[in-house]
Amino acid sequence: MRLKIIVTLTAIAGLILAWNLYRIFLDVPDEASQGAIFRIIYFHVPAAITAFTGFYAAILLGIGYLIRRDLRLDSIAASINEVSLAFALITICTGSIWGRVIWGIWWTWDARLTSYFVCILIYFGYFMLRRAIDDPTTRARLSAVMSIFAGVEIVLVWKSIEWFRTQHPGPVLEIRGGGGMAPGMEAPLWWNFLALLMLSTALILIRTRQETMKIEIDGLRRHAHAF
Amino acid sequence: MRFLRQKFLGQTLAIAAKDLRSEIRGKEAVNASVSFALVILLLFSFAFDLEPEQIRDIAGGLLWLVFAFAGTLILNRSFARELVNDCLDALLASPVSGAQLFFGKCLANYVLILIVECISLPVFAIFYNVRLPQRLALLFLVMLLGTWGITVIGTLFSAITVNLRLRELMLPTLIYPMLIPALIGAIELSRALITGNQLAESLFWFRVLVGFDLIFTILSLALVDIVLVG
Amino acid sequence: MSPQNYTFMFFGFTVAWLIIIVYVISIALREKKLRQELDRVKRMVEEGESTRR
Repeated sequence: MRLKIIVTLTAIAGLILAWNLYRIFLDVPDEASQGAIFRIIYFHVPAAITAFTGFYAAILLGIGYLIRRDLRLDSIAASINEVSLAFALITICTGSIWGRVIWGIWWTWDARLTSYFVCILIYFGYFMLRRAIDDPTTRARLSAVMSIFAGVEIVLVWKSIEWFRTQHPGPVLEIRGGGGMAPGMEAPLWWNFLALLMLSTALILIRTRQETMKIEIDGLRRHAHAF
Repeated sequence: MRFLRQKFLGQTLAIAAKDLRSEIRGKEAVNASVSFALVILLLFSFAFDLEPEQIRDIAGGLLWLVFAFAGTLILNRSFARELVNDCLDALLASPVSGAQLFFGKCLANYVLILIVECISLPVFAIFYNVRLPQRLALLFLVMLLGTWGITVIGTLFSAITVNLRLRELMLPTLIYPMLIPALIGAIELSRALITGNQLAESLFWFRVLVGFDLIFTILSLALVDIVLVG
Repeated sequence: MSPQNYTFMFFGFTVAWLIIIVYVISIALREKKLRQELDRVKRMVEEGESTRR
């Protein structure tokens, strides 16, 4: 049953992405000031939103774990965080390339890129924390607390860097070239977002099953060594 | 109500006093921390070769980096010192609540880090020929606010990492990204004060610091029992 | 548009896809490792139970 869901999701996601790729390259005209590189936005922004949604969903699941103490919630949360981390990496890599084309520099400390970088650092720490704890219950508990902190933190970091940037202006990645995207140009963005969401759900399902397998292995190993 | 508050405060202060007394007798953490701060100041002097104008510009950032790095040495010891002889288990089993234990340790760490900062600040001013601002009281206020942010996050993560291997490695890795808003705020305010700029445009950072301190103090007090006990 | 722009665009898309593919491969490798571990531990349990009998 589950395998069917995973395969279906991946297939639909693949189809949407393929169709979108066609739309992006052939239908959408080049953006006036930025040119061809503008199309990277169709990956950059959906990846960014997917990552963000994932992180906050995981935080809710973490809180859910603290209330219900169901280890499955923790497994799902960890999987979501891992997949979101991958998408956050995509966000800053594509953002960096975008920046390289527009301003000739590979990196800039603007609000979005910096906040995502901080996010990545925090979640690297999250996974380091998980690796260092052997007991599943303690791991779940401390991971949940860390996610809650991360969630509050990310909002604060974003806001402070935004304000820092208004005082020390630097390059800013602009989505809207003139004042809003032309209606024809916006649609592929949301389709891509849907596709990435489905892809990430499939990956999360696979990862969650792996986490549950790990817990099962742990239990069996303890059972085996008990004799 | 007042009785309850007194009891909370009384036990919190008892914990803080215990930690402070043990540290003042041993002086290990403060010595290590001050030495580390001095070493960093020395290394930075080799790293940068700047005009006095430029030094005043980066002074804020330099100062807070030194404070953050040196503070971590003290924060690491905070819960770790209780592991010997199962003291932590004894404390958790005692009538002292997790929040009181946490807050007491926060207060002790706060005082210790402030001591390190107060020693480092004049040394910094001398090494880098930075004339400290007229509004020294305001700089001190910034130090008070910024240090509380470092202390609260650091003490909570000290509690989280207390039972882990590689604790000394993990604590800095976990807390530095978390401290960014507070550090930016403290750095901006210190920079404004040291370079003598108008403070008005930096007032936003005061709000950020106060907000950061409040939010994370409340969050930590709420979650520390879950961290320590389960 | 300038050809350089197009190069970077393809570069960008490639990087995005590469990250996804590398991630999926790492998941697949982990799956294999977990399955092997699971089989090994199950065998250990069965051996333990048979020797006890």
